[in-house]
Amino acid sequence: MISRAKKVSDYKELNTTLPVTRYVDPETIYINLTNNRCKTYELNVEKGDYIRVAQIIGERSGGFFKQPIYSTVSGTVGETVKKHDGTGVEAEFITVKNDFKDELCRNVVDRPDSVIDAFTQADFVNIVKEKSIIGLGGSGFPTYIKLDTKEKINTVVVNAVECEPYLTSDYRLIKDTPEPVIKGLIYAMKALNAPEGVIAIKKTKIPLIEVLERELKRFKEYNIRLAKLEDYYPQGWEIETFKNAVGITVPIGELPMKYGIIGFNVSTCAAIYEAVKHNMPVVKRHFTINGDAINFPQNYRVRVGTNVRDLIKLSDGYVDDAKQINFISGGPMMGVSMPTDDIVITPTTTSILVLKSTDYKEEPCVRCASCVYSCPAGLQPVQIMNAVKRNDKTALANLEAKNCIECGLCAYVCTSKIHVTDYVRQGKQLLG
Amino acid sequence: MEIVKKTSPHLRRPNARVVRMMRDVTIALMPLVVFAIINHGLNAVFILLAAVLSMVLTEYVYYQIQDLKAGNGFTFKNKHCTIYNFSVITSGLIYGLTLPDQTPITVVIIGGVVGVFLAKLIFGGMGQNIFNIAAFARVFVVLSFGAAVGYSQFVDANAGATALGILNRNIVDANVTNSYALMTMFTGIGLPGSLGETSAMLILVGGIYLLLRRSFDVVVPLTYIGTVFVLSCAVMISQGIGFWYPMTHLLSGGLIFGAVFMATDPITSPVTRPGRIYFAFGIGVITFFIRLFGNLPEGVVFAILIMNMFVPAIDYAKWSHQKFNLRRLSIFSVVIALTILITIVGVNYAG
Ligand code: SF4
Ligand code: SF4
Repeated sequence: MISRAKKVSDYKELNTTLPVTRYVDPETIYINLTNNRCKTYELNVEKGDYIRVAQIIGERSGGFFKQPIYSTVSGTVGETVKKHDGTGVEAEFITVKNDFKDELCRNVVDRPDSVIDAFTQADFVNIVKEKSIIGLGGSGFPTYIKLDTKEKINTVVVNAVECEPYLTSDYRLIKDTPEPVIKGLIYAMKALNAPEGVIAIKKTKIPLIEVLERELKRFKEYNIRLAKLEDYYPQGWEIETFKNAVGITVPIGELPMKYGIIGFNVSTCAAIYEAVKHNMPVVKRHFTINGDAINFPQNYRVRVGTNVRDLIKLSDGYVDDAKQINFISGGPMMGVSMPTDDIVITPTTTSILVLKSTDYKEEPCVRCASCVYSCPAGLQPVQIMNAVKRNDKTALANLEAKNCIECGLCAYVCTSKIHVTDYVRQGKQLLG
Repeated sequence: MEIVKKTSPHLRRPNARVVRMMRDVTIALMPLVVFAIINHGLNAVFILLAAVLSMVLTEYVYYQIQDLKAGNGFTFKNKHCTIYNFSVITSGLIYGLTLPDQTPITVVIIGGVVGVFLAKLIFGGMGQNIFNIAAFARVFVVLSFGAAVGYSQFVDANAGATALGILNRNIVDANVTNSYALMTMFTGIGLPGSLGETSAMLILVGGIYLLLRRSFDVVVPLTYIGTVFVLSCAVMISQGIGFWYPMTHLLSGGLIFGAVFMATDPITSPVTRPGRIYFAFGIGVITFFIRLFGNLPEGVVFAILIMNMFVPAIDYAKWSHQKFNLRRLSIFSVVIALTILITIVGVNYAG
């Protein structure tokens, strides 16, 4: 085929229709002490201590910032263990034995609206920082740094596009609880003194549009609109979303704040709401388990710190005829392949995909240019691949390989089933 | 059950397969094959068979020898052969369809063997070749066996009139009989000539099939045909002649065949959309200039081969680009305007 990939085959019908199942609390919860941004930590509880939900049990730090570590469960502190988190890296976790009482820490008290109304940007930033809110779409970037921008923001965009195939956790979040999302957006608008809020969503997700339109009627006094976007991949890429929802093209590599826009993921918005209104850190999140190698694809509401193995069990395990599977954290286009299924859900883990592993037979490149036509970053992946093979750094620089966003489309469309994306990654590395 | 690690993306486009693309080209050629057989009978069968088999077998023997040299044992099924993905079959069919029906079989075979060897195998096989294999074989045959291919029969057979020939005689001070004969050879439905190039209609049917299946890049034939059309319209207006003139250009000389089946060969075209537009524009201009000012037969195949040589230049990393922007578009427009100007001036001088 010689054509641009517009729509990546979607597999969402598998589980958008299913409601979120109630989750049976696991016996053991693992609380992450380190993550890919923070490598060191200090713990202020000891083995045997009793801790409550939303209690600060330590502080992790990395580079220029620190994050308080929150407990997501009430129970007894156990050992520190090493396990993989959703980025595929080994991190340190502390085990907590769940007492199933869900006892809240005393500092969890609702803020009255009158107090929130009087908040300044600095107040919002402080709360979000103190509650360790990070980009829950998977980036893990500390939200307070974004909220703390000194630029003049005109538009706050909620990215509800969820363009990756198979993923439906944002879908369910909006469908089940639209209110926290909208309120989170309103708080962000207040914090940034932004006149306009936009919820960017695919126009094909009609049930969600209905829900949001109905809900938005209650917030007439705010200038919030829905941007119904075309259904293609990677519509959810920030630059693409901004371009289509607000009409502003942010050049690759520049901060959108400079152009008066700021974007938050749906779950992040809901988390901002929880932090500001209920003074809660991220304790639970929506989570998708999907793929053709799992018996019962499902959306879950999980406690952060749950081991994915528990969920696999709830999903009736793997299908019998799967000899080799890929265990992927994130979506099929950009997700990271895990070495094991012993993964602990951290706030940024959005989903797990279990796919039957397929080995594609590569043929010589036929220069069909589908990869060039499809690349959203405006690159020429096939040329980058050839430059990598020749080890030609000048050409790589000219081809701007560093602008690749690793969306995976070039390998997705390749007529010859070449893993072009891997070559482009190599190209980026060669450029250093 | 075992968990294996892979790098993203973990999905592939279901319809993206080389074999699907190449098989589609073969399917699109089928109406022409039937047409050729109906028109030319057994002659067509033999020529097409010779063209395809010579290419397939050359490749097969070549790779078997390579394998034996590399010390691998003999296996009947050779994994390097592109017969499995229809690539070499497609080349063979296209080559065969461009040949006149009187071409001696030995010439067909020599052309096929040499074409596949020089244009494909020594470059490193599928995906590595610079020249379109069918066009290369075709030109090789013309240059080496021009006389044997038997143009002369047609000169007399169609001495009536072909518009292009007459026009050429008027405009270009060339060997009138020669250019007249060559043009006639490729003209119109129902005329003797190359096996597959004479039925514009069936070629377009094939083209539409390829378009619907997205198995070729429609930008190339559109630009190519469009360029020839615009340039001939410019001549038409400046010379004050009828609309038959551009139409004759379009329907003659294997232009549509070359545009749909040869210029679109992805392996020998640039890899960006603007690049493909420049490429097809170049082929169009060269074809037209060869027809107007040159004295060469097969303007189409020559033009394709010439532009094939420029593909690496078009794709040169420093200036190749994925999309048009305003600056590039304006430069390109200026180039188009200049080309039209040169054509008109040239025609006036030549006339
Ligand atoms: S992975 Fe990189 S090079 Fe490939 S299509 Fe996406 S942005 Fe372009
Ligand atoms: S790398 Fe794949 S998609 Fe890109 S031109 Fe080559 S065959 Fe086509």
